[in-house]
Amino acid sequence: MPRVSDVDTIAPDDPVVTKTKKVKKTVQASVVDYQNSNPNAQFRDKINEILGHTTNPLSAFLVNPKVFSFEEKADDEAILLVLRPHWFTNVGWILTTIVLIFIPMFLPLSTIFSGFPANYMFVTIIFWYVVTFIFAFEKFLSWYFNVFIITDERVVDIDFNNLLVKKFSEAKINMIQDVTSNVVGLLPTMFNFGNVLIQTAAEINEITFENVPNPEKVIKVLQQLRQEEELEALQGRIN
Amino acid sequence: MIPQINQYLQILEKSSFVLGAVLYVIFAMVVIKQVGTMSKNVNDKFNSVLITFSYVHFVFAVFLVFLTLVIL
Repeated sequence: MPRVSDVDTIAPDDPVVTKTKKVKKTVQASVVDYQNSNPNAQFRDKINEILGHTTNPLSAFLVNPKVFSFEEKADDEAILLVLRPHWFTNVGWILTTIVLIFIPMFLPLSTIFSGFPANYMFVTIIFWYVVTFIFAFEKFLSWYFNVFIITDERVVDIDFNNLLVKKFSEAKINMIQDVTSNVVGLLPTMFNFGNVLIQTAAEINEITFENVPNPEKVIKVLQQLRQEEELEALQGRIN
Repeated sequence: MIPQINQYLQILEKSSFVLGAVLYVIFAMVVIKQVGTMSKNVNDKFNSVLITFSYVHFVFAVFLVFLTLVIL
């Protein structure tokens, strides 16, 4: 006897329909509540609350940019956050540039180029400054154009290496499995910047946002977006 | 004999300066192209300033070629 009842409970046509209906009803009710309370707006408000506001196009933490866009962006996609490496990561090349600017003024070039005529020295100095300029310009370009973008649909990492190689990686929000951050060292702790590692189920299984400011805020935003995606998926399944 | 060697050396110096400047002009052109490509990929307010800088840099590179040809 107990065997029969066991079989009944696990049979595919087992009349547990009432139970399913109940579950379905409660889910439907929650979805209705969800629609009524406009959760998308709620999520966005929460995200805005976390992120605050920035308008400077040279910011390393650009929130809801109005002008910013990227080539692969879909028309209905909204950019929520644009990240660049923290400004402190630029200190090294800025100091190098300053040193390079002052070298011709302080080094006794006349002794180094003693065999050279004055006109050669003049051209060499001009060359020096043009090369110094391009050194700083290139460093700035690699900082400015290496961006990490969080949209309402995906996370995108655009890298330009040595101005000649472009690398584009992306992962849909619903493919994100795990997000971790690490802030290692004295200066990153002082200035609050670090790496955000995003594990995904996509082809590229890891995306790293390097040296980004406020990594904890980035994680919170990604959490909100993942929750939003989960709810959207749930709503899609019921409809 | 020695003045002749000096003359050859001077020609060699001048031609290496000119060659360096010409190569630099080619590099400046690559920079313009790259800044353009990057600006197309990542579009923001500040891009126009960067494009202008890359053109100014190119003009300087061309000026350098003239400088090496005229002054040296």
